[in-house]
Amino acid sequence: MLDIKNLSVSYGKHAALREVDLTVDRGEIVVMLGANGAGKSSLLKACAGLITPHDGTHIDLSGNELTALSAHKIVETGLALVPEGRGIFGELTVRENLALGAFAKRARAAEKQNLDRVIDLFPKLAERLDQAARTMSGGEQQMVAIGRALMSNPDILLLDEPSLGLSPIMTGELFKALAAIRKTGVGVLLVEQNAHQSLAISDRGYLIENGAITGQDTAKALQSDPAVQKAFLGLGAA
Amino acid sequence: MFSYALFSGITLGGMYALVAMGLTLQYGVSRIMNLAYGELVIVASFVAFVFMTSVGINPLVGLLIIIPASFVLNWVIYRILLTPLVARAKNRGMLEVDSILATFGLLFIVQGVLLVWFGGNYYSYDFLNNAVDIFGATIAANRLVALGFAVVIGLGFYLILTRTRMGTALRAVAVDPTSARLVAIDVNFASCFAFALGGAMAAVGGVLVSMFLTFSTSMGVVFTMKALIVVIMGGVGNMLGALIAGLILGVAESLVATYIDPGLTIAVTYVIFLLVLLIKPSGLFGRATS
Ligand SMILES: Nc1ncnc2c1ncn2[C@@H]1O[C@H](COP(=O)(O)OP(=O)(O)O)[C@@H](O)[C@H]1O
Ligand SMILES: [Mg+2]
Repeated sequence: MLDIKNLSVSYGKHAALREVDLTVDRGEIVVMLGANGAGKSSLLKACAGLITPHDGTHIDLSGNELTALSAHKIVETGLALVPEGRGIFGELTVRENLALGAFAKRARAAEKQNLDRVIDLFPKLAERLDQAARTMSGGEQQMVAIGRALMSNPDILLLDEPSLGLSPIMTGELFKALAAIRKTGVGVLLVEQNAHQSLAISDRGYLIENGAITGQDTAKALQSDPAVQKAFLGLGAA
Repeated sequence: MFSYALFSGITLGGMYALVAMGLTLQYGVSRIMNLAYGELVIVASFVAFVFMTSVGINPLVGLLIIIPASFVLNWVIYRILLTPLVARAKNRGMLEVDSILATFGLLFIVQGVLLVWFGGNYYSYDFLNNAVDIFGATIAANRLVALGFAVVIGLGFYLILTRTRMGTALRAVAVDPTSARLVAIDVNFASCFAFALGGAMAAVGGVLVSMFLTFSTSMGVVFTMKALIVVIMGGVGNMLGALIAGLILGVAESLVATYIDPGLTIAVTYVIFLLVLLIKPSGLFGRATS
């Protein structure tokens, strides 16, 4: 399980996250909702080792203190990040992107099974394996990005606004895939602005505002919370 | 005479391509613009010379020692000279500028040591100097062998980059270093490895060239220039581009030297270079990027 305690991040003098606590268990989808600039990406990047949080921050994954590890070592502990903007290797083929997902030593033994799993999850990729990743549509690129992350055999999968720029139908497909991933026992931390669809597939949710957690509850409760409806679901008491 | 000129050109072009492949690897993956690159080519030429004339080891056997030795040497250069620059660079641009200055200094150190040891004369040695007939041209066997080795080693290099896990990881670092970290690639290690591998390619080029060309301690700069031209002409980071661009330059130089005037080869190099840049600024196989 991923256990974030007292996470603070600053860019220069600007505090992006203040003493955030958050947990994600295996086999659940946790959504983090917040406006632009609230600090969602910073939280995911701090977990993945792309930015350094303040002293006093503890991020624990299955007994590993992630704040002490560099990004490439964190992957080996079972955490995979699908970053904002996908971060796929556009010049390389889909097959190479997926193979690189299994670069982590923890993933090598099960590379073949994981590839089959990814293809089962995203059958569209099967016929595109030898195509350069950059030549695919936005939705397909997101599949490559998630597939690549799954190839590292993660216990915890972090996704930064995966639905950004996708059609509603594509987004629906994507979220269905996330629900299937949860079934395999992976814990998913999903950052989204699309509150409606993401709460529908999530187990729990956090609300983040100006770098601090302002609320947390089950997804069901959040869906009917008036404050959430006002801020994220466009159902304000107009 | 035409087939002789053509064959010489292909041999020379093959060398350019081989040497350029190493430079493009160092630049593309490690983000080091290595101005001392050609010096390492020449060092290998002199090592091959000493092996052949003083130790009695022929250059082909010498490769078995020189390839791993140059890999280690370049590894050490990266760790000692370049790692501090990588650590303090805030972005790629800064690292490029710093590395240009640092390797410019390295250029003079290597050249100075070579000068003290070997002086300013031209060197060459006899190895497989017997003539061979192919396609109506009479060619020294050493050129044929050098070309053969360039093809095999260049192909091996290409296969390592495209067919192995480590090679694919190196290309991933070249495309997007941040994403590379997210798939468990140690980018610092990969940069060092790519620099060392590129340096080994330089050494291979130096050994093969020394088998059929005369060389001197001041020729390193020429190799750096040619390699840079081939890399830019072919499209930065593009192995196939480097191969084609290398062959074009080699054949053009050889034809001009044979039919017009050997003094014009450098001029022709630049004319072709400029033409390519005017017509396709990102190089023959380069894709325009931001
Ligand atoms: N690299 C950076 N340098 C300076 N400030 C940054 C940087 N990245 C993010 N910020 C700032 O930190 C805050 C949180 O950003 P971010 O984590 O990207 O939020 P979100 O993903 O929720 O939109 C914002 O105010 C943003 O402007
Ligand atoms: Mg963000």
